[in-house]
Parts: sequence; C-alpha cells; structure tokens
Amino acid sequence: MTPAISVAGVTRRYRGQLALDQVTLDLEPGSITGLLGRNGAGKTTFLRIVAGHEFASAGTVAVLGASPAGNQAVLRRMIFIREGQAYPDFRVRQVVRAASWFYPNWSHELAGALLDEFGLPLDRKVGNLSRGMRSAVGIVIGLAARAEVTLFDEPYAGLDAVSRQLFYDRLLADYAGHPRTVLLSTHLIDEAAGLFERVVVLHRGRVVLNTAADDLRGAATSVSGPAIAVAEFTAGRPVWDSRRIASQESAVVAAALDETDRARAAALHLHLEPLTLQQLVVRAAGTAAASPPEQTTAQRTSA
Amino acid sequence: MSTWIRVARYQLTGRATYAGLWVGPALIFLLNLALAVTGVGARQGAGSFLIIISFNSLVTGALSITRQLPFALALGVSRRSFYAGTALLAGAIAAVYGLGVTVLELIERATGGWGLNLHYFRVPHLLAGPWFLSWLTSFAGLALLLAWGMWFGIIYRRWNLRGLLAFIAAQALALLAVVVIIRWVHGWHGAGHFFTTLTTGGLIGLLAALAVAMLAGGYATIRRVTV
Repeated sequence: MTPAISVAGVTRRYRGQLALDQVTLDLEPGSITGLLGRNGAGKTTFLRIVAGHEFASAGTVAVLGASPAGNQAVLRRMIFIREGQAYPDFRVRQVVRAASWFYPNWSHELAGALLDEFGLPLDRKVGNLSRGMRSAVGIVIGLAARAEVTLFDEPYAGLDAVSRQLFYDRLLADYAGHPRTVLLSTHLIDEAAGLFERVVVLHRGRVVLNTAADDLRGAATSVSGPAIAVAEFTAGRPVWDSRRIASQESAVVAAALDETDRARAAALHLHLEPLTLQQLVVRAAGTAAASPPEQTTAQRTSA
Repeated sequence: MSTWIRVARYQLTGRATYAGLWVGPALIFLLNLALAVTGVGARQGAGSFLIIISFNSLVTGALSITRQLPFALALGVSRRSFYAGTALLAGAIAAVYGLGVTVLELIERATGGWGLNLHYFRVPHLLAGPWFLSWLTSFAGLALLLAWGMWFGIIYRRWNLRGLLAFIAAQALALLAVVVIIRWVHGWHGAGHFFTTLTTGGLIGLLAALAVAMLAGGYATIRRVTV
C-alpha cells in the first residue's frame, strides 16, 4: 500500500541552523498520528514541508504517492491548519464558504454543526475574533474539508478545555465515518493521547521515536513502595530511573508487566502506575538530548 | 470548476480589495466636481486621476497577493494556480474597470465636461480617441499596473521589506541604466521621436508587452514563495 506520507532523508537548513536532519518516515493511509516534541524540535517545519509550504534542503517528500510541491493534483487532497493561521480580511461565514469550494468531500452539515457548537459569530471578521475563536475557525475548516491528508499544527491555541474536548470528540467521530490520514502536532500530549494510533517524536530535527501508540501504552511502569521491595521487584529488569526518599523508592521499569508481575507487586505492597504518553515523550526527548545524535534514532525506536 | 476560477472567486469574496480601487478616484472626482461648481478649482483633473488610479492599482495588485496567499496555500491551492487565478481576475478587472473609465470618459465628452468644462477622465494623448482604443488603453494600462503590483506583493511575501526595497532599487537602477545608455549613444532625439510618434495602437502594444513581462516576473518569483 502506498504510504499517505512518505518522507526520506529530509533535511532543512536555515542559514547554518539545522531544523530537520535526515528525517525518514512513512505514514500509512487512514491513521491518526501524533507529531510530538519540544519547542524548536522541527514539527512545524516538517508539516510545512509535507504541505508544500516550505522546501526541503535535501531529501524527498511524497504525499499520496507524489511530490506535493507545486502539485495541484496532490495539494487539493490535503489541508494544513496551523497555529496562528493568517486569514484574509473575511467574515467567518465567508472564510468557511470559500474553503468549501476547494474540497470535493466538504461537509456543509458538519461545518454548520461545528460552527454552532463552537459558538462562532458568522458575521464577524475573522481578524476581530479572539485567539481561541480563530483557532476554532481553523478546526471547523480542517474537519469539514474531510481532506484525505489533514495536517494540524497546534490547532487549538487559545481554546478552552471544553472546546478542545469538542475538537477531540468531533475528530474521532468524523474520522470513524470518513477515515483519512491525520497528522496532529501538539504539546497537550496526555490530553490528545487517546486519539493517536501512532506517535512520532522529533527532537532537534531528528525522529527519536516512531511507533504504534498501542506499543507505548504499558511500555514502562512506575513502581513505588518500600525500597527493599522495589529493589527485589526490579532486579533483572531494565530500569530507566529511580528515586529514593528515606525508606521509600520509586523506579521506572522499561518493560511490559504481565499478570504474574502484578500479583507479585501486590504481594510486595508496591504501587504500579503506567507511564503516560507525555512522560514517555519527555523521556524520549530527554534521552535523545543526552545521547550522541547518530545513536538516538535506533535507540529510541527500539525502546 | 477549475482551480483558477475558484481562486478568482476566493479573491472576490472580500470584495473590498478590488472595490477599493475606485474609492480614491471617485472621491477626487467628487472633490474636483465640487471645486468646479464653486468655481474655485482648476478644470483639469486628469493628472490626479492618472496618479491615483495608478497608485490604487499597484496597491490592489500587491494586496491580492499579500493578504490572500497564506490561506489559499492552507486550502491546498498551489502557488501557480493561485497566481494564474489571481492574474485571470486581474485581467477581468482591468477589462471591466477599463470599460468603466471609457464610459465615464464618453459621458464627460458628451456632457461638455459634466456641464462644467471639467476634464477628469479624458487624458490627452492617452484616453481621448475612439472608445475602443480608450478601452484597450485603459485595459492594458490597468492590467500592467495590477500585474506590477502583484509582483511587488510576491517580492514582499518572499523576501519581506528588505527584498521589496532591493526590488524598488533594482528597478530604479534599470531605469537609470536606460537613461545612461541613451545619453551615451546620444539617442535622446531617437527616444523623443519614438514617444512623440507612438500611435495609440503602439502604446497599447507597449503596455501589453510590459504587462506580460510583469506577469512572467511574478510567475517566476512566486514558485519559491513560502508562507
């Protein structure tokens, strides 16, 4: 099957600064992928290059089997909604109507429902809206377009928690009925974790983690309790981190635990807690920062 | 509906950009009219009309790029399609507005200068002949100015203010080079002869050729614009 997005050896330099460094990545069609990483990791540059808004210094990009740069046949099947999206001097109604002309799968019904749910004033100029409301306009367009490849770069800047949850719910509901390839860059990792089928972590322009989200869930567990019991339980297991305060210790075991392990932990009066996606991403980025660049990709991908 | 037509429709959605082209000339015309009625002002407004419509056309062309391009790219429009659709609309706007200028010029002529001997739309040597030549001249002139403005907008989008200033400086240098060359080859007489004997048809051709050159320049520049 042709990947929806295929990136090979993509590098982007800005006057001596390396924004992306040999990024290689394939994303299958019909999946929601989280693009995660710290500020300046290269997420926006990556999305801009995939969307054809920016040009790679080296490497190749294919979207739906062809290069997106200047390729109208590919671009009309994509949408890219970014944080701080610049809009023309249009009213909300005009922006949404104009967007509908460019997408054959546009859903007027979904757009209308989302406009209502976000409480967007149709006759107000987009430029006069609050930051959160402008983000909501982008979300309405990004979802109603039903583009085969949908790219969101921090689409909910300034949105309140209720509206963000609305975005997650509507994305999942519409995705179920109309599968597409969604790549979502966000810093609100745990909040959006339930959406992701795949997780890609960028750090300093490199892919340091690229794995199925299911493989990450339960991949590492925090074990806490009496130090002697923790030491007994973690003996022979890979341990990422351990912290001890007086007689209590907390350690992170980098391995999946089965029922036997859990029963043993209970017998030792240990508390088990799976690491959240955010903790795993922090770990991946932190380890990459401390490792020589040439080792990071392989190390973290196998983690 | 092709993407070019969609882009043209998208450009027209705000309307203010292209409608604004007429605001300045209309206000100055009303001012001239008021001055003519009170007998205070001069009866020749063609200079101000030419200056303001030229400036407005340049600005309109530039705004059609700087304001509209980022969101169009977000909607999956390629740079070339955006440029082609915008240029198509600029051509249509130039044709329709050129016709408007021609009609106003004919009314002005027929009413003896709006009954006040006021000559605002009739520009001697440019917009003073048969209606179809006036129309073609207006069309070619407006198309040139809109295309030139679009190129300014693209330069600004690609290289910001620094690039825009360099672009203006490069054009000034090119003009200076032409002057120096004419002076060097003692060609002032020939240049003067060329412009004084230039027919309306020749002028239309010259304006159209320059418009095509501007469009080609803009097309070459927009291919690597990033937003």
